[in-house]
Amino acid sequence: MAVNTDKGLILIIDDEESIRDGCKQALEKSGHVVLTAENGKEGIRIARESKPEIAFVDLKMPSMSGMEIIDFLSRDIPDIVSIVITGYASIVSAVESMKKGAYDYLPKPFTPDQLRAVVKRAFEHRNLKMETRMLRDEKEQMEKNFITFVSHEMRSPLLVIEQYLEALRAVAGRCLDKDANDIIERCNKRIQGLKALVEHWLDISHIESGIFEPEKNPVDIPGIITRSVEEIAPLYHIRELTIETDVSDDIPEVTGDGESLMRVLTNIMGNAAKYTPSGGKVSIRAGHDEYYVSISISDTGMGIPKEKLPFIFEPFYSVKREGEEQKGSGLGLNFCRKIMEAHGGKIEVSSQVGKGTTFVLKFPK
Amino acid sequence: MTAKKKILLIDDDRDFLMATKIILESGGYEVFLAEDGKSGVEMVKSVSPDLTITDMMMETWGEGFTVVSKIRSIEAGKDMPLIMLSGVDLQGPYQSFEPSEESPRVDLVLNKPVKADDLLKHVKRLLG
Ligand SMILES: Nc1ncnc2c1ncn2[C@@H]1O[C@H](COP(=O)(O)OP(=O)(O)OP(=O)(O)O)[C@@H](O)[C@H]1O
Ligand SMILES: [Mg+2]
Repeated sequence: MAVNTDKGLILIIDDEESIRDGCKQALEKSGHVVLTAENGKEGIRIARESKPEIAFVDLKMPSMSGMEIIDFLSRDIPDIVSIVITGYASIVSAVESMKKGAYDYLPKPFTPDQLRAVVKRAFEHRNLKMETRMLRDEKEQMEKNFITFVSHEMRSPLLVIEQYLEALRAVAGRCLDKDANDIIERCNKRIQGLKALVEHWLDISHIESGIFEPEKNPVDIPGIITRSVEEIAPLYHIRELTIETDVSDDIPEVTGDGESLMRVLTNIMGNAAKYTPSGGKVSIRAGHDEYYVSISISDTGMGIPKEKLPFIFEPFYSVKREGEEQKGSGLGLNFCRKIMEAHGGKIEVSSQVGKGTTFVLKFPK
Repeated sequence: MTAKKKILLIDDDRDFLMATKIILESGGYEVFLAEDGKSGVEMVKSVSPDLTITDMMMETWGEGFTVVSKIRSIEAGKDMPLIMLSGVDLQGPYQSFEPSEESPRVDLVLNKPVKADDLLKHVKRLLG
């Protein structure tokens, strides 16, 4: 793919008239359009106006230093390639200017051939740079489109199947015997599982592709704990688990995205319910110290073997246990960790097999 | 016996239409289907339904609201109860659609998929 949109426009910023004229002549001969400026201020004005592809900047000028000009150009003019003209070909200043964004340097005095060779290299460099950027943009766009596509193409059929099952229940539910209704129920369960998988996968893809950026709002920690507990209460009721909260009342607000943090909490509370036998207890505590605001979620469940602990935050990892009937997607904790990291926080776990597991969410203060 | 109440269903997914039609018919309603907004609006005129259920998201984002405005602007649709179903793409943190002040009046918004019982209950109430 060629991205040759070059106007061949070159800007020379130098206070020495002979250099400006010499460069202009030499480069115009090889078909370039050359603009000149005798000081930094004028140079920047021209650069802004005509967006040259290449700029030669004299490093040593009375008013504004070449270094400042380069710094400005590389930040303000997209894809410009700057080259330093340096009278005292000192490596130090040349290297310094390259750190500021210059691509190359040209020591004085130079011949027209040397000048043209540098220009040729600079154009090649620029094309390569732009091509790379275009490819990267294209790839990003494809990733985003893919996510949107999958999102739609996976969710829609699932939704329709659910709706058909509802229809089936509506027309035939009462006539069907228990076995048949059980089958419908099983279908429904598996669909819910697949739906949860798709949602998790989407959440994670959105974070990874950068589409999702957590909102930066003040988040009321006690508030989201209460809401999460309310949301999860029916599940705890079914599983005959008690839930206990101990939230200190002076918890400072954290900055972030309340909705996704709630999802983190419900995910972990959901796990606690899933992996704790009935009759157990889940305790949620929130507090803060000098460095962190923390929320801990402890259960009295089956625990996680020590050697498995390092893996539980990995995508698609689930701990295999004897007689476990239904496996999850293994994406829940991966999502939690990603969200915590997006908040500059972290998630920690400790566990004892047969005794229980504690997850701690930590937000930097 | 009184005549069956007529319900118009607008959605661009034919299977979704079929499934929802079955549910509504099980509640004793006569159901008319439209696969896009334009024919939906036409059918409001030709059928004069007692209630309309339309998808929120068809073809273009917010198309459902355009359809609702059009329906509200015709005589047969001015005061008709109207349910909007919000599609899958509404969930998630990355896309949200807030009906604005000027959005046309919708009596109820339900999430897809809809539970058969819920749908029938709401329809009955709105037709009541
Ligand atoms: N509170 C807990 N007690 C015991 N094991 C746990 C607990 N929380 C997580 N685990 C283990 O860690 C694994 C990973 O958890 P994660 O939430 O990522 O996936 P999952 O629960 O299997 O599936 P889902 O994606 O549906 O949440 C689980 O398979 C489970 O065995
Ligand atoms: Mg889980």
